[in-house]
Amino acid sequence: MKKDKKNSFNTPEGYFESFNDRLMDRIQKEDSKEGGSIIPKTDGFEVPDGYFDEVTPRVLSQINNDPKVITLQSNKHFYYGIAAAAAILIFVFSITWDSNKEPITFDDLANAEIEAYFENTDLEMTTYEIAEVVSLEEIELNDILQNDLDDEIIMEYLDENVDNIEELNLEDIDYE
Amino acid sequence: MIAEETLVQELQREESRAKAFEVLVNTYKERLYWHIRRIVLDHDDTDDVLQNTFIKVYRNIDKFKGESKLYSWMYRIATNESLTFLKQKSRKMGVSDQELKDKMVENLQADVYFEGDEIQLKLQKALATLPDKQKLVFTMKYFQEMKYKDIAVALETSEGALKASYHLAVKKIEAYLKEN
Repeated sequence: MKKDKKNSFNTPEGYFESFNDRLMDRIQKEDSKEGGSIIPKTDGFEVPDGYFDEVTPRVLSQINNDPKVITLQSNKHFYYGIAAAAAILIFVFSITWDSNKEPITFDDLANAEIEAYFENTDLEMTTYEIAEVVSLEEIELNDILQNDLDDEIIMEYLDENVDNIEELNLEDIDYE
Repeated sequence: MIAEETLVQELQREESRAKAFEVLVNTYKERLYWHIRRIVLDHDDTDDVLQNTFIKVYRNIDKFKGESKLYSWMYRIATNESLTFLKQKSRKMGVSDQELKDKMVENLQADVYFEGDEIQLKLQKALATLPDKQKLVFTMKYFQEMKYKDIAVALETSEGALKASYHLAVKKIEAYLKEN
């Protein structure tokens, strides 16, 4: 047993002689663990038997069954005709419309269409991109809200959710 | 295997298109399948997206200019189709993107085509916490063993940004697996 000259602690026999080997062993072990990583090598997904054999004919049949795209250009006159007929129909319909009922205006239709478009179309725009095209100066809070918010509700919300009202920098607003 | 350049030429000529398209589907179906599967996770959804991807490829082959590899270009279409599919799915279900991702991982436990054990399920949970780009880079590099150069074309980003994303993803996944 080795004895430290200045204190009474002991180390096991041969501790310092074998220290290097044990240290290198451990480094090697940790390295190999890291090399293999704790991330599994496979992710466990499987496919049904024979899937890859039957997918090709399915794709090809879809391509063959798909109707050809007919360009608008070649049927221009035909569409003009339909548009003209539709315009006349709408005109006749609009003057014979029962005026007691509230008619559907163009604005109603347009809004519904626009809403449906935004609802169903993937715009692929992030919030930041939308913010870039819509200027904040030009919109009021109530433009983007369906129901007007009462001041009382806003104050109640702030009261419940804001710890330090000073942080809102409201010094300039006269509360009285 | 037929040279890519020849295949593209044949695809762009009306008379050889059908035959060449069959070769294209047979050549790339497995690689694209696994790419899509790792994004949408479910086999049936993958099947839908894979077919849509090939139909898009067929419809747009005239627009392929040969500036990138055909297969990177198809990966780009497959990636976009998969992400759009997920967005539409979350919208239909009325849940947020993150809620959908969590649900997808949850469903894996009952999925007959998922043979993963506990660690592989945890890996999917970890992947669901990553931003889309990091998850894509990680699966393309780690499981599909793609080159950064090809991933860069498929994801329309620089190689440098990809390398950073990959290392960040590995760190996050390892941390998640160690913690949980």
